[in-house]
Amino acid sequence: MFRRIGRAFKEAWWGIRHHFAMVSSTAVTITITLVLLSVLSLLIANINQITYDVEEEIQVFVKIDKDVEEKDIDALKTKVGRIAGVSEVVYSDADSELTYFIEQYGEAGKIFEIYRNDNPLSRAFIISVATGFSISEVSKQIELIDGISEVNFGGATIEDFINLLDGTRRVGLIFTASLALLAIYLIYNTIKITIHSRREEIGIMRLVGATNSYIRVPLVLEGIFIGILGSIFPCLLTIFGYKYIYEVMNGQLVSGILKLIDVFPFTLYVSGFVMIVGIFVGWIGSWLSASRSLRWKR
Amino acid sequence: MIILENVSKIYKNGTKALNDFSLEIQDGEFVYIIGETGSGKSTLIKLLNGEEIPTKGRVIVNGTNVGRLRFGKVPLYRRKIGVVFQDYQLLKKKTVYDNIAFALEVINKPKEEVRNRVKEVLGIIDLANEFNSYPTQLSGGQQQRVVIGRAIANSPSILICDEPTGNLDPRHSKEIIELLEKINKSGTTVIVVTHDYVLVDTYKKRTILLDNGSIISDNPEGGYVHV
Repeated sequence: MFRRIGRAFKEAWWGIRHHFAMVSSTAVTITITLVLLSVLSLLIANINQITYDVEEEIQVFVKIDKDVEEKDIDALKTKVGRIAGVSEVVYSDADSELTYFIEQYGEAGKIFEIYRNDNPLSRAFIISVATGFSISEVSKQIELIDGISEVNFGGATIEDFINLLDGTRRVGLIFTASLALLAIYLIYNTIKITIHSRREEIGIMRLVGATNSYIRVPLVLEGIFIGILGSIFPCLLTIFGYKYIYEVMNGQLVSGILKLIDVFPFTLYVSGFVMIVGIFVGWIGSWLSASRSLRWKR
Repeated sequence: MIILENVSKIYKNGTKALNDFSLEIQDGEFVYIIGETGSGKSTLIKLLNGEEIPTKGRVIVNGTNVGRLRFGKVPLYRRKIGVVFQDYQLLKKKTVYDNIAFALEVINKPKEEVRNRVKEVLGIIDLANEFNSYPTQLSGGQQQRVVIGRAIANSPSILICDEPTGNLDPRHSKEIIELLEKINKSGTTVIVVTHDYVLVDTYKKRTILLDNGSIISDNPEGGYVHV
């Protein structure tokens, strides 16, 4: 058993050494594909993180009608809280609203203290939503409730931003999947050429009674080796490239709200993923190619 | 023992290669199969090798119905027969030793067994001194001897040779036939498909003449029979 495994590794290594130019060109192509995959993975993961952060930050500001009596506030709060997508409802009375308003203006805001006894501001509910996507729908439903005078969540801009992030994520995933398919196709062709260049040897193997699996295993291993070779540079680039970008950008994108994911262990996960994808495309590409090319002819 | 019972072979393109063909070859026999191109000689080898299945009839080799072998069993069957072709089909990047050992390694024979058997085979084919040479450093006759060595490495009970002297001069052809005789004397059934009528007439063995997929003559005395 071990001898067989050893032989398969030896044969695969022999194949790589004897078709080094072809193996190298495929490995380089795989490297380019995996670099793109790595960049996309880093981007998608950060987009996910940013989307999550933005969603966490989004709050709906709901003004309560002045006619609503104090004793009915709790019932109204319960009603609002029951709407699907609402994760938290915080009541803020008119006094708190004025304090918040004054704080927003700093020192200059103290001038508004004169309204403390004749407060023109409304009481409000500050609502957190479960996901950014339900914000528009949640706002519309809150608006329909009696006793609510105005609903504000930052308008379509936030929703557009979230949709943009989501769109980027989807396009990235499709692009990544296409690249992975391309890599499989490239390995497929390399192994096909390997099989072609070793057709005499394979013919002799068949002639003397080698089984199909005996012939196929080294070829599949060769594909896996090419996948590993092709993924070494992308893995290093993932770790050191991202570390560099993270340091240059101070760990944030545009502002402190949009934070980049910490370098470790994030880059180790991504480079591990890239390596696994490299191995997987190497395996699937060579397996398909070997199975097709060695389809048993009697 | 090889038995072909009413075997017909029609290829997908409609070519009729063998026509209600029956033949029996006993264990340890040396048989020449001769005939013009297209007479069915190559198809006969392919049927014996399990490369093709008969359209009709049965091909039985040492009790195995070759035509009914499952795909997965064909490699195991092939380990019991040796095949030699006209074009030497040697691995140019491997030495004489490695080329012979290759036949044993691909069927997972233990290292020790491979070493001993290859030494033995090198003695049989009289190339012990050339064990470390590459095929390109050998003459045509020597290369063909290596191919024969590889074919008998696994001690097959049947050795099939398709035009083994086709590319050789008379001196080397003689050497090859003498080597095949030596192998035959050790108990291996040898089937030689050839165009070399001089050889057939010189080293007389049972000779079967084919034409249009049928046996025209089967001469146990040997020698080329003009029909």
